[in-house]
Amino acid sequence: MKLDPGLAGKRVVVTGGSRGIGRAIVEMLAGEGCDVTFFYRGNAEAAKEAVAAAGGNVTAEQLDVRDAAACAAAIERVMERGERIDILVNNAGIIRDNQLAALEDDDVTDVLDTNVGGVFNVTRAVVPYMIMQRAGRIINLSSVSASKGGRGQTNYAASKGAIEAFTRALAVELAPRNVLVNAVAPGVIETEMSQDVREMAGAEVKGRILLRRFGTPQDIACAVWFLASAYSSYVTGEILHVDGGFKME
Amino acid sequence: MATEITKEEIMAVYPKVAETMADALGCDVEDIKLDVSLIEGLDAESIDFLDMVFRLERAFKIKIPRGKIVENARGDLPEAEFEQKGIVTEKGLLQLKSYLSEIPDSRFKTPMKVADIPRLFTPETFCKLVIRAQREAAAAA
Repeated sequence: MKLDPGLAGKRVVVTGGSRGIGRAIVEMLAGEGCDVTFFYRGNAEAAKEAVAAAGGNVTAEQLDVRDAAACAAAIERVMERGERIDILVNNAGIIRDNQLAALEDDDVTDVLDTNVGGVFNVTRAVVPYMIMQRAGRIINLSSVSASKGGRGQTNYAASKGAIEAFTRALAVELAPRNVLVNAVAPGVIETEMSQDVREMAGAEVKGRILLRRFGTPQDIACAVWFLASAYSSYVTGEILHVDGGFKME
Repeated sequence: MATEITKEEIMAVYPKVAETMADALGCDVEDIKLDVSLIEGLDAESIDFLDMVFRLERAFKIKIPRGKIVENARGDLPEAEFEQKGIVTEKGLLQLKSYLSEIPDSRFKTPMKVADIPRLFTPETFCKLVIRAQREAAAAA
């Protein structure tokens, strides 16, 4: 039996889509025939490259997810272009790692405003449409940091813990309208964002990952693909850990 | 004091409100009688109320403050005078009856829990909501 993932023609929004995991998600969903709009914060060059690499039907828009009014306007523009949004991937996130006592105010607020506030801003703009459509998928990017303590990550871990709680609560709210809400919790992935950690403590960290390798952006994109596809139509409120067993150690 | 909403104004928006509400509730437009209780008569849930508000905003190109119907019903009355420990006060009940003037007196139970106020809502309540939003938009313009 061959199942159709049901992704062709779906209208998708991905935040933070120009680099790393976001870019891999954009490429994978565009490859399935989705109509993808991704938001990027400031690197127009990277966004242009991501559009070209993805091929297919991909649009890039500059957006600071911390700006609620800008998020609402950006989602309105997406709706004007196509009248529905089937899948939202809340991927945009930043790190400002440091030990708690050394964190500056901005290190805390920037991370929480982007990683948590950004998810609220974009999701609040999208949810009314999904409620009206009586269908939708929301996939949030969490992190292994939400469930496994790591030095220098209080701000990031707190933000991702919030996202997991947000995911479960929203899944309850939206289930009556067949809007499924899940999260993917990546481990250490080979991206620019994790470069410092991998350079400073790569061997030690790898030794604590059961599969003894770092993940790739495509590993995470595959999990997002599953949660966006028809294969996961009975899954909601779940946190899918894609970390090579890092959480287990 | 805001001008009273007339029956003519209500009947002018009612067909479109009924159509929009039927879409949100997944029922026939004929079921959307002006005075039917949305919760008890049409099995509306809290998410349906949000859906109706979103759809009405788009259909009428208006802005309805989300989740603030009860707050609006309170009018200028301070919260502490409107309700105490989740129960609508006597003064609050008078205010509520005036705001929801379309609802027959017999449907206002005492003591009335604030959480039960949405049980009173009917399609006419939403017609009035639309008219108030239209008036506000016109005044702002």
